[in-house]
Amino acid sequence: MTVVRRPAVEPGQPVIELHDVSRSFRKHRDFERSLQQRLVRALTRRRPPIDVFFPLKDVSLRIETGDFLGILGPNGAGKSTLLKLITGIIPPTTGDLTVNGRVCSLLELGAGFHPDLTGRENIYLNGSIYGMSRRAIDKRVERIIDFAELGDFIDTPVKHYSSGMYVRLGFSVAIHTDPDILLVDEVLAVGDVNFQQKCLRSIELFRNRGGTLILVSHDLSTIQSVCTRAIWLEDGRIHADGDPLNVGMAYLESMAQREHEHTQVDAANEASRRWGTGRIRIHTAELCSADGQPRDYFHNGETLHIRLHYHADHAVSGPIFGIAIHHQNGAHVAGPNTDFDGLVLGDLQGDGCVEYIVPALPLLEGVYSLTVAIVDATNTETYDYRDRLSQFRVLRGAATDRYGLVALGGHWQLSKINTTSREAMFQE
Amino acid sequence: MSVTIEQSRLARITARGSDLWRYRELIRNLVMSSLKGRYKNSALGFVWSLLNPLGMMLVFTIVFGFLMPDVRVEKYPLFVLTGLLPWNFFSASINAGLYSVVGSSNLVKKVYFPREVLPIASVLSQLINFLLAFAVLFVALIVFQASFSPWLWTLPFVILIQTVFSTGVVLILSTLNVFYRDTAMITEVVMLAWFFLTPVVYSVALLPETIQVLGVALPLQRLVYIFNPVASLIAIYRDLLYWGYRTDVDFFIRTALTALAVFAFGYWFFLRYSERFGEEL
Repeated sequence: MTVVRRPAVEPGQPVIELHDVSRSFRKHRDFERSLQQRLVRALTRRRPPIDVFFPLKDVSLRIETGDFLGILGPNGAGKSTLLKLITGIIPPTTGDLTVNGRVCSLLELGAGFHPDLTGRENIYLNGSIYGMSRRAIDKRVERIIDFAELGDFIDTPVKHYSSGMYVRLGFSVAIHTDPDILLVDEVLAVGDVNFQQKCLRSIELFRNRGGTLILVSHDLSTIQSVCTRAIWLEDGRIHADGDPLNVGMAYLESMAQREHEHTQVDAANEASRRWGTGRIRIHTAELCSADGQPRDYFHNGETLHIRLHYHADHAVSGPIFGIAIHHQNGAHVAGPNTDFDGLVLGDLQGDGCVEYIVPALPLLEGVYSLTVAIVDATNTETYDYRDRLSQFRVLRGAATDRYGLVALGGHWQLSKINTTSREAMFQE
Repeated sequence: MSVTIEQSRLARITARGSDLWRYRELIRNLVMSSLKGRYKNSALGFVWSLLNPLGMMLVFTIVFGFLMPDVRVEKYPLFVLTGLLPWNFFSASINAGLYSVVGSSNLVKKVYFPREVLPIASVLSQLINFLLAFAVLFVALIVFQASFSPWLWTLPFVILIQTVFSTGVVLILSTLNVFYRDTAMITEVVMLAWFFLTPVVYSVALLPETIQVLGVALPLQRLVYIFNPVASLIAIYRDLLYWGYRTDVDFFIRTALTALAVFAFGYWFFLRYSERFGEEL
């Protein structure tokens, strides 16, 4: 194991290089810490089996100057272990690690603030924790105060600060230390929207200065809009490395795949989520793309066919087929049925299929579930109801929208409504 | 082969040194905030740095000067003060330094910086306190018409040696305390014993020259100095400030070398284990 850290970027060399780096942790048991237990163990010669797990296994990675690297991965993939190795809080167990340049982490904003010291004094304290000299801080202190928008509070002890003020000051000091490498976790949820914009602008400046950024996020769209490169980390290994779009797609497809397997496992306890008289039943619901292939992920804007395969032993007269789509967070997004659409089905018997076609899927990125049901013509008898029968994932596609659940498909324009007509409206 | 290893070790030491130098501002700030924190919400503030040794001097003068007149030493209050101040510096360094890493676990777990900054800063803030208390000592020297040694100029070196020695001990103890909190409990008892085994409030001349242990004659007075660097240090302080005497050069150098050896070992020990602080805390 060798670790090399240099305080400045070396021209022609990667800023961060990991070569076959592994990191293991012992699964801690509290009793092992005490001297008494160690003595007892030494005397009885009983060694408990050492339980080791590896959050990182043989990871090799080169990060060049100017890279904006996004790290994708589920919880427990080893992302924070990787960041801790890069900051130097923990050493690797095996492998070589080289870091050229000053690392600044935005993960722990305001760590090391002293509650009794004023904001200004804490700027000096915090700056020195990042290894800045007094003169360097002197030069930046006014800019730091300006940026944090603390006004007169700067000479108040930070224990009286609101949490927002605290983080704003923390961010401001961190970004003004002129780091070569910035570590960012999730979206910068610092302060209000205005301040977040300012943070993003300063990160753009940082990019223009040739800085290197490492961003950990679950939110694919952030990584795709900010980063120039992405890695997918899972089970302590790098599964993919490259363009954020490709890596993101690969990652999402794997996630969707896993969810699919998960749903199948769930099938066992499905009974509780299904009810109805059963005179006519939906035995399968298929989600298909335009070419008729069943899939469980779709891009926004794509054509979606929802096929409901039914079976009825005896003729059922005029049933109504319906579906409901829920977002992962529980929001009921849509609930079309054959009755609303004016489709009269007549008598159904034996096997058949009813299809609902969405020409251009308006849903935005996320995970949705499909509920299907058949009721009688008067909506008094439920033949079959299958709650959250299957799940599907929507990926980014045609729509440029980023917020909410659906793309309304509208467009924006500058309209020339003059003030006089507005006054006329109010007078009405 | 061995040459390259030696070179890389040298390179590692200098890299570590320059790293530490880069963080000198942090040491300064930690010292300042610890000094500010100490007298926060106290009416007399830093005056306590002066009153505390005076109070202790008074207590020991009453106990040993009047209640036990057998152990009387000439100008006893001055005698006590010249031993007590260095001892207080030492014991305060140990007690504060012991918790220097554990007490900053928040910082250690979240931000990288050379960890030795913490114990070093805690010893340095005690050093400043000690220097402030020296003001009291000099007033006392004048009041008791002590004879100033012509070798008084060596005093800064003595203080430096003590600082180096204390830092070495603190580096070891603060590391151990991360892994075994028992360290703090043990240290408490050891420090009490150390205090009585060091001629702070009594004169080493009061001890029998030799004692018989299992039929072997041991030179007790010499042993106190050989095994107790703090006793040696206090003897030097007294030579300069109380006896008005020049310390023997070889004694001075031996003490300095012991302090350096403890410091070097402590630093090595600290560096070896400090990279595990992030996960242990």
